Order: sequence, then C-alpha cells, then structure tokens
Amino acid sequence: MTKHDMTEHGMSDDDRQIRDALQQSFPAVNTELRRDLWPAVLRKLDTRPVRVPWYDWALIGLSVSVFLFFPQLILVFAYHL
Amino acid sequence: MDLLRRFALGEIDAFETLVRQFQGDIFAWTLRIVRDPGIAEDLTVETLWRIYRARHQFRPDGNFSAWARRISTNLALDYLRRRRPEQSLPAEPAGSPEPDQLLQRETREKIQQAFRRLPAKLQVAATLALVEEQPYAEIADALGTSVGAVKLRVFRAVRILRKQLSHLGLRSEGNVSRVRK
Repeated sequence: MTKHDMTEHGMSDDDRQIRDALQQSFPAVNTELRRDLWPAVLRKLDTRPVRVPWYDWALIGLSVSVFLFFPQLILVFAYHL
Repeated sequence: MDLLRRFALGEIDAFETLVRQFQGDIFAWTLRIVRDPGIAEDLTVETLWRIYRARHQFRPDGNFSAWARRISTNLALDYLRRRRPEQSLPAEPAGSPEPDQLLQRETREKIQQAFRRLPAKLQVAATLALVEEQPYAEIADALGTSVGAVKLRVFRAVRILRKQLSHLGLRSEGNVSRVRK
C-alpha cells in the first residue's frame, strides 16, 4: 500500500485487517461520565500555586549581594560544598 | 452579556455553566484516547482547570468546544508520552478462560503492546481514526494540524504496527484477523 492508496481509496485489505484487529483488541469504552466534575475543578482552582516566602527571596538577594561584593567568597563556598 | 464573554472576563458562574455543559464531551473525547475512565476523569479536571487559567486567550466569538477539545487532546498526548508502553489497560473480568480464549487474549495483548510502543502522536491519530472511527477533520482540528497530516500519521502507525506484529509472530492475514472479543 502506498500513501496514495491510503488517501485516494481509503484503506487496503491489509489495513482493514489491522483496523479490525485494533478494534477487537481495544474494546469500545463507555464514554458516559459517572459524576459531576465541577467540585473537583473548584477544589483545583482553590489550590493556590506554591509560593516562595519573602524571607527566601531576601536570603537569595543577600547571598547574591555578598558574592558580588566579595567574589573570593565563592571559592570558599565552593570548597565547603 | 453572553456566557462565553462572561467566562472570558473570569466570571466563575459562567465557567460553572460551561463546565456542566461540556464536561461530558471533554471526558468522552479524552476517554477515547486514553481508554481508562479514571485517567480520563483526572485529565478532564486538568483540562477544565487549564481552560479557566487560559480564559484570557479565548476569543468569545470562537468555538469553545473545539478549543476545549484541543486542550484535552494535548493533555492526553502528554499523558501517553509519560506512560510507559508496558503499563497495561484496566484488567479484564476474571475467570478461567478456555485454551482458545487464552490464545485470543494473548494475541490481543500482543497487539495492545505493539500499539503502545508507537509514538504518542501516532497512537492518538490511529486510536481516533481506526479504533474510534472519528472523522479525519475532527481529529485534525483536535490535534491542531491538517487532515493530510493526520492521514500521514495513521499511515505511519499502520506501517509500524504491521512490522511490529510480524516481529511478534502475528501476520495481518493470520492470527490478527482471528482475534475476537
């Protein structure tokens, strides 16, 4: 089978057999929704994203400033890692 | 003011109405791709959450259903990419199968395994086109691509599948066509 066969004439017999085998291997699923999902959506909407506390930002700022003013401390810091 | 405009402005009541209206459709579409009701429910909740978060990007004169379907398809695709191919489908009802049934079950499992080894994009296109027999135009719309691209993906999926099945000792004109439910 060529791409041309596939688009022009649908499927070859071989492809139809593959399709039938797939349909038999993946039985039909019941697509009925069993419960209302709104409460779950609302719960998810209420969950606030994880936030970095202000003191962590302060610590990061302080560390960056220290390394900017005293770059030799980077070596000391790296030695102790 | 109409419902979609109110939703785009962030009105939670409008969103609730939309959720109640479209949750069934989104769930059914997702389930057709992932084929597990529990996973499909989780992905539907995630889809609805993302829809609300992205409400500013939605044009109120646009097609809400198509937009929702595209988001759910992308999430289902991500899920298939993360899932390992070995992960099995929900278990079939227990019982003591006849030897012939056992062989058929084995064949079915081999076909499922081969299918799960396909790249996620090909899996989605092939599931929707071949298993679910959805129109190509709808599949293309949900995947955000052209009908030609979907046909090509289905063609590639069939070609790879045929090769894999013959490696597994199943030929399309032989055991494969004898698989029964």
